[in-house]
Amino acid sequence: MLKRWIGGVSLIAGTLGLLAGPAAAAEDSLVLYSGRSKSLIEPLIERFEKQTDTTVKVKYGTGPQLLQTLSQEGEYTSADVFWANTAGTLGAARNADLLQPLPKQILDLPDAFTPSSGRWVPITARFRVLAYNPNQVSADELPDSVLNLPELTQVEGRVGWTPTYTSFQDFVTALRISKGRSTAGDWLESMKQLEPKAYSENTPMVRALAAGELDLALTNHYYIHRLKHGGAEGEYEGHEEEEEEHGAGEEGEEEGHDLKPKAPVKIHHFKPGDPGNLALVTGAGLVKGSDHPKAAKRFIRFLLSKQAQQFAANQVNEYPVRGDVKLPDHLLEMKRVLKLSPDFDFERLRELKATLKLLREKGVF
Amino acid sequence: MTRLFRPSAGWWLLPPAALVVTGVALPVAYLLYYAAQASADQAASLLIDPRLAELFLNTAKLALGVLATTLTIALPLAWLVTRSDLPGRGLMTVLGVLPLAIPGYVMAYALLGAAGERGVIAQLTPFLLPSPSETYWGATLALSLYTFPYLFLNLRSALAGLDPALEEQARSLGHGPWSVFFRVTLPQLRPALQAGGLLVALHSLNDFGVVSLMRYETFSWELYDLKQAIIFESSKVEMAFVALVMLSLTLGLVILEARLLRNLLFHRIGGGAARRAAPVRLGWWRPAAYAFVGLITLLAVALPLGVIAFWMIEGAVGPRVWNNLQGAFVDSLSAAAPAAVLGVILAYPLVHLSVRRPSVRTRVLERVGYFGYAAPPLVLGLVVTWFPTDGARLMGWLAASVEANWPSLLATPVARALAGGEWLLVNLHLSLTLLVLAYAVHFMAEAIGPIRSALYQVPPRLEETARSLNCGPVRAFLTVTLPLVRRGLLVALALVFLSSMKELPLMFWLQPPGFHTLAFNVWDQTNNLNFTQAAPYALTLTAASLVFVAVLLRYGRR
Repeated sequence: MLKRWIGGVSLIAGTLGLLAGPAAAAEDSLVLYSGRSKSLIEPLIERFEKQTDTTVKVKYGTGPQLLQTLSQEGEYTSADVFWANTAGTLGAARNADLLQPLPKQILDLPDAFTPSSGRWVPITARFRVLAYNPNQVSADELPDSVLNLPELTQVEGRVGWTPTYTSFQDFVTALRISKGRSTAGDWLESMKQLEPKAYSENTPMVRALAAGELDLALTNHYYIHRLKHGGAEGEYEGHEEEEEEHGAGEEGEEEGHDLKPKAPVKIHHFKPGDPGNLALVTGAGLVKGSDHPKAAKRFIRFLLSKQAQQFAANQVNEYPVRGDVKLPDHLLEMKRVLKLSPDFDFERLRELKATLKLLREKGVF
Repeated sequence: MTRLFRPSAGWWLLPPAALVVTGVALPVAYLLYYAAQASADQAASLLIDPRLAELFLNTAKLALGVLATTLTIALPLAWLVTRSDLPGRGLMTVLGVLPLAIPGYVMAYALLGAAGERGVIAQLTPFLLPSPSETYWGATLALSLYTFPYLFLNLRSALAGLDPALEEQARSLGHGPWSVFFRVTLPQLRPALQAGGLLVALHSLNDFGVVSLMRYETFSWELYDLKQAIIFESSKVEMAFVALVMLSLTLGLVILEARLLRNLLFHRIGGGAARRAAPVRLGWWRPAAYAFVGLITLLAVALPLGVIAFWMIEGAVGPRVWNNLQGAFVDSLSAAAPAAVLGVILAYPLVHLSVRRPSVRTRVLERVGYFGYAAPPLVLGLVVTWFPTDGARLMGWLAASVEANWPSLLATPVARALAGGEWLLVNLHLSLTLLVLAYAVHFMAEAIGPIRSALYQVPPRLEETARSLNCGPVRAFLTVTLPLVRRGLLVALALVFLSSMKELPLMFWLQPPGFHTLAFNVWDQTNNLNFTQAAPYALTLTAASLVFVAVLLRYGRR
């Protein structure tokens, strides 16, 4: 009988011992919830760890997944920084009161796209663009505003878009909010008159454009750069030590990958402020209830430092949000870039449900 | 005292059994609780969603396609291995089991890395195969190539155990060989077809790695992708609905299989023992048979290994990957090893009870174990992230109200205990322990089969004899039963370990920050088209799995 009690008690004690999670560590550690993928941001994280002698523990997931986890955890969260892929996710985080206000010094670092709520800060920007094949369509024919795109009846049946893709839906949300639901609805209906081809992924669409199967495509800017120069979203080739010497194009050649620097694909930007130029901003925020706010702020400042912003420009083909970063030749200058996007409260991109409803109503999918 | 605790009564078996039941019932209770909060309109709009219908169609198409394909692969292979006179049958058996070492997402990686413009085939040969991405055939092929061993193993044991007398009688009554096969042999294979088919179907329904990499939209995809609309309006209710739909699909399958197996009579009636069937001479058919086996081997084994090797040699793997590899390997092990041990520990009581004291209750208990397996891992993972923090909050609230309302002499210790409970649950959330627990509950069904077969062969007399010689129940178990079931336990350990090493969706939800398994790394790199960076992780994972497949082959022979 005694033996059984001893056995039982030691079993329970052992289990409790196992359950003891990691105790709150010293100031130099930090938990990051990242909506950006591991293969993309690993080099940056490691650089930060080396430079500041801080341990960064990352939990990777999709934006919605991490949002769900954060809101479920509430005050029990161990997260310090939330780094998300879309402004909509950050808007939802702020709406659910998951983020703390950031200090002014951090909010002042970017040159553009900082939200008025001050709960998160932009890190990089991507843009919606109109890609075109110069062999089939000339630049003069292209409209100044995305709203006039349906007038190009000559490209009927040869336009590509990606209705199920988040960035496209973000664009329609921006259109809906800035120009009104009926304008957005009309635009969708008239676009459908052009009989656009729907793709679920941008890469095959851009390749089709290069191959001459399409004349126009509504997409994000980095897909074109990726086709022509390599690098870009996720296609990190492991040459980080030599990134200052090799341009993105050379790496691509060495790897023998299917790059087409001379592909007949060009980027057309609409006039500054047009919804067709929507900036798709990635950003980071300080989680409410963070146990390591100092380290967290240090990390966010690092993401906005020149070296990290340079990394984004060179390795990932995304635009930095600081104006003083040197960009590779194939990207536009920062001055021009910052003026392109419509003036818009990016946090409202979280209002996706209404957009999906509109898209369904108009029969886009 | 000894009268109350008779041998095989096993009071010590009930707590683990209770833990398992809780572990499985809790998620369902959770889901039902949240789903029940939906208003009638909400429920209607969620269920009548055209997207849900589209997903259902895709999922069903996928499952059926995979069933058909695995049948086409596994049945002929099993027949060749047991009934023909083809030389090299031993090797073919090994080849038929080997794909168990290759996780589905590695198979998807192999297909993606082979075909398409950047693929191995395009780079080495003048042929250009279309990319399998986003296609039905890509997802079906990847799933079939890695799940067919489940069907193969079942069919092989069934065919080997068939009584040839039935077939010989059919021949003597004038049936040709094909007629005998379809009218006599095949019907007897029904239990094996169902058991194996169920596993294959469950894998297709619950799979996440393949469908996410191939971008083929099924229910798993929906739960993973978690269309922003559901989350941003922050409704657990809507998520619970989708989860319940998935759950009812898999549950429906399990129940269907149980129904279909009732009242099947396949054993010999009357005296005598079954003879081994005489091997069928293939003659002319030999080259065709070899070609068939060759093709399967090429696709299911040579292709993944070859693609991995190609991408490792072709590109420069960054030094970072080698550093990470070690950490990832340790992480994978530290989840898989305890999960295997715990899984066997949890499964054993259920099996012991159902074998030694068969009754409706114990049979139901055993089925509960299967339920944990059938539950879609994405659903299970999602719910498991809810319960520790919800529980902690409950504890905290209880502690506060006890402090406020109870007389202080009683209040303080009780409140302290509740606060301790709260601390425990908070630390349980997103911890390695929770992940291990989830794995054990999810995969213990795989341990049930081998343990059961082993335990059947141990007559209860032996234990009773030991007890009558004054051994305590624990000592009787350790000295008598354990050595005899050792083989079965080893196979069970190997199976659960293998599955935990390869697992992806549960880990998606439950991985502690800073914890990244080999499986996650393979998936992440492949998802971003970094075939070169993914290769070393895929290779390590496959190599580690191969070791355990070897254990399976060695000890699992029946």
